[in-house]
Amino acid sequence: MKIGIPQSLLYAYYFPFWKTYFEELGHEVVVTPMTTKGIIDRGVKASVPEICVPIKIYLGHVITLLEEVDYIFVPRFVSIRKGQFFCPKFMGLPDMVRYTFKGIEEKLISPMIKTNSDNIGNTFSDYKFMEKMFGISSQKNIKALEKANEVWLRFREYSKKGYTITEAMKIVLDGYGESSFSTNSDSNSSVTIGLIGYVYNIYDSFISMDILNRLREMGVKVKTFEMLEEDSLEKELQRMNNKTMFWTFSDKLLAAGYSFYNNPEVDGLIHVTAFGCGPDSMLGKLLDMDTVEYNKPFMTVRVDEHTGENHLQTRIEAFIDMLKRRKMNMKRGA
Amino acid sequence: MKVSFPYMGTTVIYKKLLEQLGHDVIMPPIPSQKTINLGVKYSPEFACFPLKVIMGSYMEAIEKGAEVIITSGGHGPCRAGFYEQVHSRILKQEGHNVEFIVFNSMFRDFKNFYKNLMRIKADNSWIKVAKSLMLVYDMMKKLDVLEKEVQVIRAYEIKKGETTRIWENIQRIFDQANNKKQIREAFEKGKELLSKVRKHDVKPQNRLRVGIVGEIYVVMEPSINMKMEELLGSLGVEVERSQYLSQWVDYNVLPDFMNYTHEKEVLKKGEKYLPIEIGGHAKQTLGQIVDFSKRGFDGVVHLMPFGCLPELVSQSIIPRITEDLGIPVLTLSIDEQTGVANNLTRVEAFLDLIRGKHSKKIS
Repeated sequence: MKIGIPQSLLYAYYFPFWKTYFEELGHEVVVTPMTTKGIIDRGVKASVPEICVPIKIYLGHVITLLEEVDYIFVPRFVSIRKGQFFCPKFMGLPDMVRYTFKGIEEKLISPMIKTNSDNIGNTFSDYKFMEKMFGISSQKNIKALEKANEVWLRFREYSKKGYTITEAMKIVLDGYGESSFSTNSDSNSSVTIGLIGYVYNIYDSFISMDILNRLREMGVKVKTFEMLEEDSLEKELQRMNNKTMFWTFSDKLLAAGYSFYNNPEVDGLIHVTAFGCGPDSMLGKLLDMDTVEYNKPFMTVRVDEHTGENHLQTRIEAFIDMLKRRKMNMKRGA
Repeated sequence: MKVSFPYMGTTVIYKKLLEQLGHDVIMPPIPSQKTINLGVKYSPEFACFPLKVIMGSYMEAIEKGAEVIITSGGHGPCRAGFYEQVHSRILKQEGHNVEFIVFNSMFRDFKNFYKNLMRIKADNSWIKVAKSLMLVYDMMKKLDVLEKEVQVIRAYEIKKGETTRIWENIQRIFDQANNKKQIREAFEKGKELLSKVRKHDVKPQNRLRVGIVGEIYVVMEPSINMKMEELLGSLGVEVERSQYLSQWVDYNVLPDFMNYTHEKEVLKKGEKYLPIEIGGHAKQTLGQIVDFSKRGFDGVVHLMPFGCLPELVSQSIIPRITEDLGIPVLTLSIDEQTGVANNLTRVEAFLDLIRGKHSKKIS
């Protein structure tokens, strides 16, 4: 069977898991290409106008897969942590897809993901229905899940070593050597940026205009939330005690934000957010209000389906220049 | 203590409850353009509209002397559950010294709920608290009965605006009532006043009925939804909302095993389209549309705040319900950018559509 996976939303965080899992079950995995203008346009046409850009793009990817594959994988992410949820749009994603495109229903594979940790391979019951769907034994299913889990954990380890998600995926899935990429750790950059944003924005080079690599090309060291140890994020969340948000990834970003604020190595924060993102409207405001208290510059980059890269280049150049000057002044004791 | 609360719908009820318990109630003013301007100025730009209006409301209440704000918390995953965190942070930053008492669902964190309850209870005996609660509940039920009547009569009144004036008057009468007997009298008085409204005689088959569904704040608060009910009424349409305060209380307060509310059935009706709760009122919205359609309503107006997370999921699915059941739905998204003429045109066009459909159905 050909199983289609949209290269969008949580693809950047879970693809190594999904790919390994389906391949272990003997299926062929088809992935949509990186987001293009064509994909976005298709998505925009199929969505309600006010919905956030990542969802529009996701629908565009789904349309792109429709003709090509036997099944499309659209998981329903509900919760990966007790007491926390995903943004409502993730929870209703399969329904939006199902009722937007006629005749797609038979093609959908939508496990409901409800676990108590990031490790979504932990609860086998979420994938139980695949056994009936594909006529496989429980044993085979569990074995495939275990393998998938193992690959995913390795992938996460590389993230934590400072490789970007794109690089970590190439290492675990395509057999690239670790030395093929220069990670953050071996650059002697003058400035370090904490880059805050959901994986589906940061790593979709069309949405984020590849901000991560742009920064690196400018000789800037970049840290993102997925490069931090879960414990340290957890610690930040504990410090806020019950004042956290209840959206899993927003909480991670918030925790990452404060961890960057507290980290003397980090010189400034950039928040990449998609137009119309609800959770970010709160998260961004909280971090923004604290920029004075921590005495660290904070910049918001808001992106949408309209392209225009030059302003971004100018803004980040100015921001980095400012950070460099600031650092020099501080060194001089001015 | 000098307490206040977010302004939504028939506020006389919250006022009454707090007064019964001996608190000093600072009524927040009805949301006006000034409220909205204040709220917009101090809220995050991309926050949803209710957050902004409530922000403005709080500021006005604080100006009038409020020291404590009582609100409900919700538990996500819609943004409303996080309002208080943002509100209190911003108010503090703006130099307002105000305390928040947030009621989250008691089934989730009973300890905190109890602590809050004790604050509100103050020196009153539990019997007094129970009595006050029963009294206010009774009042809520009766007001909802009258309001439902108002929403029907308004469509046929001869003197435009008369019903609305009477309804405001009724709320004032209830505001004066302080015991069971007075509430019953207020209810009788209200019924009597409403029965005196002179009406056009419209044949049953010519009557149009429209349901209003959507996010609770924009559905319940007329001052920010272009007075949608009055508007539809003045255009000769009977209206029913998806939410009434007493329903909300029944559904949210009763424990599961004795929760036989209509809301439960409604949720089941929407399950085909949205199998799980995704926060806010998304699942209710879909269920209510199915419910209104099954009950023979001619159309539904769907109200949501601009960019509302859960309602956008509903909005994506609604076209399919219309296709399946044939019920027309008009979605209006509401924010601080008022464009009354534009929305008015859309409502009028929508009514033309359902009128046409209706006359085809009966001929």
